[in-house]
Amino acid sequence: MVDPVRVDVQGLTKTFGQVRAVDDLSFTVEPGQVTGFLGPNGAGKTTTLRMALGLITPDRGGTAFNGVPYTALPEPMRQVGAVLETAFHPARSGRDHLRVYARAAGLPVGRADEVLDQVGLGPAGRRRAGGYSLGMRQRLGLATALLGDPAVLVLDEPANGLDPEGIQWLRGFLRHLSHDQGRTVLVSSHLLSEVEQTVDRVVIVGAGRLVRQGSMAELRAGAGSGDVLVRSPQAAVLAELLRSAGATAVTTDGVPDGLTVSGLTTAEIGARAFTGGVELHELRAHASGLEEVYFRLTAGSEQYAAGPAGKDAA
Amino acid sequence: MGRLVAAEWTKLLTTRVWIGLLLGSCLLVGGFAALFTAFAGNADSGIAPVGTPPYEQLALAVSANANILFVVLGIIGITQEYRHRTATPTFLATPQRGRVVIAKLVAYALAAVPMALVVMAANVLVVSVYAGAKGDGPSLTGDNLRVLGGVWAALVLFTVIGVGVGALLRNQVGAIVGALVYLFVVEGVIRSIPATQGFYKWLPGGALEAMTATFDLTDLLSAWQGGLVLLAYALVFSLLGTLFAVRRDVV
Repeated sequence: MVDPVRVDVQGLTKTFGQVRAVDDLSFTVEPGQVTGFLGPNGAGKTTTLRMALGLITPDRGGTAFNGVPYTALPEPMRQVGAVLETAFHPARSGRDHLRVYARAAGLPVGRADEVLDQVGLGPAGRRRAGGYSLGMRQRLGLATALLGDPAVLVLDEPANGLDPEGIQWLRGFLRHLSHDQGRTVLVSSHLLSEVEQTVDRVVIVGAGRLVRQGSMAELRAGAGSGDVLVRSPQAAVLAELLRSAGATAVTTDGVPDGLTVSGLTTAEIGARAFTGGVELHELRAHASGLEEVYFRLTAGSEQYAAGPAGKDAA
Repeated sequence: MGRLVAAEWTKLLTTRVWIGLLLGSCLLVGGFAALFTAFAGNADSGIAPVGTPPYEQLALAVSANANILFVVLGIIGITQEYRHRTATPTFLATPQRGRVVIAKLVAYALAAVPMALVVMAANVLVVSVYAGAKGDGPSLTGDNLRVLGGVWAALVLFTVIGVGVGALLRNQVGAIVGALVYLFVVEGVIRSIPATQGFYKWLPGGALEAMTATFDLTDLLSAWQGGLVLLAYALVFSLLGTLFAVRRDVV
């Protein structure tokens, strides 16, 4: 376990030219949890993280790590590890990249090999970083952040470029770092679905302002129970069964044999169908529940909103 | 500060920029030294014959022409952070950016010391062998040694100037092109116009000449004054760069 560090973002504000990128943004990030920092592209997430880490000077406000701003931390890499972009000198090997920052932070250079193994990049460590795949770059970025064994990890869009296996690995890794080791983990993403299974809390921003912060459970409660899609060759019989079981709405779904059910969970519907002897061909929750809440919360906040076609594509 | 200097050395030694610039400098300097020696004593060339002090000091000062490559070394040393966007991890590791600039100034000054020695060794080798074959190799004593010492210090100082210029301009291509245009065009023009000639001795090129030439007829500072002028340029560029460019937001 590491000593817990709490991150306090207080009233951060930054204007670039005419654009207010971040507007009086305050939130907290607690130790021992993974906090998702969510918002559409252009919502100010990266600017916020860079301000928190002293790379961008805010117009107003500040960020404190257990009360201390990043630029005043005596050994910043030992307290906060950050991956803001996958930036490496293409001619330098991943291992040499890590050795540079181990030296700069006054850490033993052997840490480079340790963190390479930790992120599963050991065999590629001596190759030029310019030849790495996007997923390998993300891992090298994460390795850089882990060099100082920090109590706080800040990751900007870490799942970008990872394959499904990599995302699953990252999910487990971040939960291990936070839940088992007590670290404070802040992960930004523009996709709720990408981090939904990883994060314990969310901070949602839109157009540089705080839209919502709270636990995933609270967000899910706001999403309601969600609709369930069922397909059965005996759709009419099933519809009758479900209505009598307390479904608040049952509608035929356009597709033959399809029903959209509200007010019952997939488990409840499955149980009714089983006891009623009705054959099911498909039974799934509409994935949109949580996603819809997220979309609703951030709707209209996109700075460069596309037309209807663009929104469908997104 | 020691660990930041060590980190800069690791950065320098883990890419091949330094090898390229060092080999390029040796080839440039060796070639010029051979050329000067070949035409030494030729009446049309204006180069004194081998064995005379003017020839020896001219031929041993050829290394000073590598100054442009040493400026480029310093420029790349700082602008690569922006070019490859490693400024982000660098400033995350050391949020006090002025300390990064100071570490680079120290690291590149110290790295230039052996690199300049290697270039001068190539110079001395070519001159000794070739002039020796033509009858009289130079001795490495007295004024000859003083010329070599001046070249050595000047190459180190030009590397430091490169770091300063890089800190101020941040853009690698812009900084290198700017330095080339300045050294090859702007100073040449200033030097050739009578009205601005008197000012030339205060410029980097004039200061370099002051440190390496003992027979020049133009109005120059003394060698140590020339060194101080170069150092002043390096520090002024670095200070301005730190205050106005390096502190800017890294977005």
